Amino acid sequence: MSDTKTIEGVTDAINREAVQARTAGEPAWLASRRMHAWEVYEDTPMPTTRLEEWRYTDLTEKLLLDSLHLGSVEARPDDPSTFPAGLRQAMDEDREASGHLVLIDGAVVHTDIREDLSGKGVILCSLREAVEKHPELVETHLATAAVPPEEGKFQALNAALWTDGVFFYVPRGVRLDLPVRVTRWISESGAAFFSRTLIVAEPTSQVSYVDEILSDDLAAQTLTSSAVEVITQDGAQVQYVAVQRMGRNAFYLSQQRTLAYRDSTLDTLNVNLGGSVTRVDLNARLMGPGANSDMLGLYFGDADQHFDHNTSQDHVAGHANSDLLYKGALDEGSRAVFRGVIRVHEGAQQTDAYQTNRNLLLSDEARADSLPNLEIAADDVKCSHGATVGQLDEESLFYLMSRGLPQAKAERLVVLGFLGEVLSRLPLGGVQEKVTRAIEEKLASHG
Amino acid sequence: MSGTPILKIRNLQAKVADEDLQILNGLDLELNSGEIHAIMGPNGSGKSTLAKVLMGHPGYEVTAGSVDFNGEEVLEMEPDERSQAGMFLAFQYPVEIPGVSIANFLRTAVQAHQGEEELDLFEFQDLLMEKMALLEMDPAFAERPVNDGFSGGEKKRNEILQMAVLQPSLALMDETDSGLDIDALQVVSNGVNKLREENPDMTVLLITHYQRLLNYIKPDHVHVMVDGKIVQSGGPEVALQLEEEGYKSWREIEAAQAD
Repeated sequence: MSDTKTIEGVTDAINREAVQARTAGEPAWLASRRMHAWEVYEDTPMPTTRLEEWRYTDLTEKLLLDSLHLGSVEARPDDPSTFPAGLRQAMDEDREASGHLVLIDGAVVHTDIREDLSGKGVILCSLREAVEKHPELVETHLATAAVPPEEGKFQALNAALWTDGVFFYVPRGVRLDLPVRVTRWISESGAAFFSRTLIVAEPTSQVSYVDEILSDDLAAQTLTSSAVEVITQDGAQVQYVAVQRMGRNAFYLSQQRTLAYRDSTLDTLNVNLGGSVTRVDLNARLMGPGANSDMLGLYFGDADQHFDHNTSQDHVAGHANSDLLYKGALDEGSRAVFRGVIRVHEGAQQTDAYQTNRNLLLSDEARADSLPNLEIAADDVKCSHGATVGQLDEESLFYLMSRGLPQAKAERLVVLGFLGEVLSRLPLGGVQEKVTRAIEEKLASHG
Repeated sequence: MSGTPILKIRNLQAKVADEDLQILNGLDLELNSGEIHAIMGPNGSGKSTLAKVLMGHPGYEVTAGSVDFNGEEVLEMEPDERSQAGMFLAFQYPVEIPGVSIANFLRTAVQAHQGEEELDLFEFQDLLMEKMALLEMDPAFAERPVNDGFSGGEKKRNEILQMAVLQPSLALMDETDSGLDIDALQVVSNGVNKLREENPDMTVLLITHYQRLLNYIKPDHVHVMVDGKIVQSGGPEVALQLEEEGYKSWREIEAAQAD
């Protein structure tokens, strides 16, 4: 026997040399953070179904790590006429915005921000550019308190291998009346992409941010790893919306952490409609008294789509609120897992924390597992959790049909209403319409 | 007063689907267009089952008989086809459809009634507002999700609004009075009467346990239903007689006949 042990998750493409190549020309602090993240990756075993957090998502079966190559990182020209049709269509629907940023295969190809906002110090740029131009801001926040490599195997991998992403910074007191819209398009089949998003909202600022990721159907498994860090400082208000509408064979891995400081509001909405495998880890941390986080989620699956949502509400400080609502509809042989934990830390008194997951099964083959959990280390708190998995109700269908709606139309209306409740909780310009349209298209394709 | 026959029920027999529980035992009934009929009966007599079977509820199985609506066999039709043919059931327990606004729901329903022809949204909006004004309803009501969190009275008013918009030729009203206080009962009854004034040809079948609804909506004919069939038919005086004597005597007659 040789004395070298097999390190789990190291492949011909994903290895130490690849990380070292990424560090070329980077500042020392960033290079050392990458190498540290890689050490953590090597030391962390590949998650198996023996781990509670991965119990229903078997990576040995679902993730073809050995087959993946690293996505090319060359930048493309900022010429919309050369953009794929699906990307152009999504962009066309997003004209009303404070700024736009477009990435194709992990590289930023377009950025614009309203002049009056950049004049006030608002920064929307590629993360690479931010490393050069705003090192003090990036160094303070990137992959430190928000998504540290120690959080897990894939968090570490992303911190080691990220190529680019988005940096969005809103200075103290600046309020944006329209959302910032980021559109990401993936086209290179068989590749692995690693990107990061860092959003920093300074005290009393206000902003909403829509992050949409799209692709056509892909010939082979394609991994998109996205790490998102959102920080709201005292009294700031942020809405973060992620919409995933990728095609077949997309493996979408999104690791998000939100930090809400004193009296801030940090709401999130995760919409997952596409992809073959979707795994979202969302950790919402309530860091100061008066902080509030609404956490909304919506998923709609068909064929053999697999969705795994793993959420945690960490009440680090007392006198803060969090309220989670995730709803999903599952047709054909699709499958969803929801695992949510409310953690009330020691001394976090006067916490209000709620968690609800509801699933609607539209076929006998669809399946949903819901695992809510509470870990409470304080005694003066209000917490509740609830989960349901239900079928389309015969009485509701009869009611709608008795008004003249054919069965298929009645079913569509019930599903739209069921999922629409989530959207109505976060009314954000254009998002409701866009997501509703996407759900309608998916419903219509079922005939 | 009496127009052309609109609904002919012959020897209707029905049971709970998947169970050996017979509820309708050979029911006969005939309604002419423009008439108001009331079916009264004790709990468990099968009144609500009759309403659901007429509308095609999947929870019941028809074992014999026929239902002719304007010359068509209703029992062969899906619930949506019955609605499109002009039937309407005001539910005893209207169903909550979270996330779907009344306006959206009704727009979808009117579109379904219209078939292929694209619904003009402005025309629909005008129709909805006109009917809401007729029923003295706040336009904001139409933006609320269907029956979600509604009071008993609001649910029943919503049924009447749907009836007003869909303009059926036959309205089946299943215990519309249940769970309503006297004020709400008046509001709902006024609504039905206004729709009748608008459309005197609309036929109404009221299903009720109590006589009090009939103080507000005056029936031309009253039928008594016991154990899944009609045991007596007559004018409004039948309802008054029941009010005084109750259903007990009918039970006794049934028992005597069975012996």
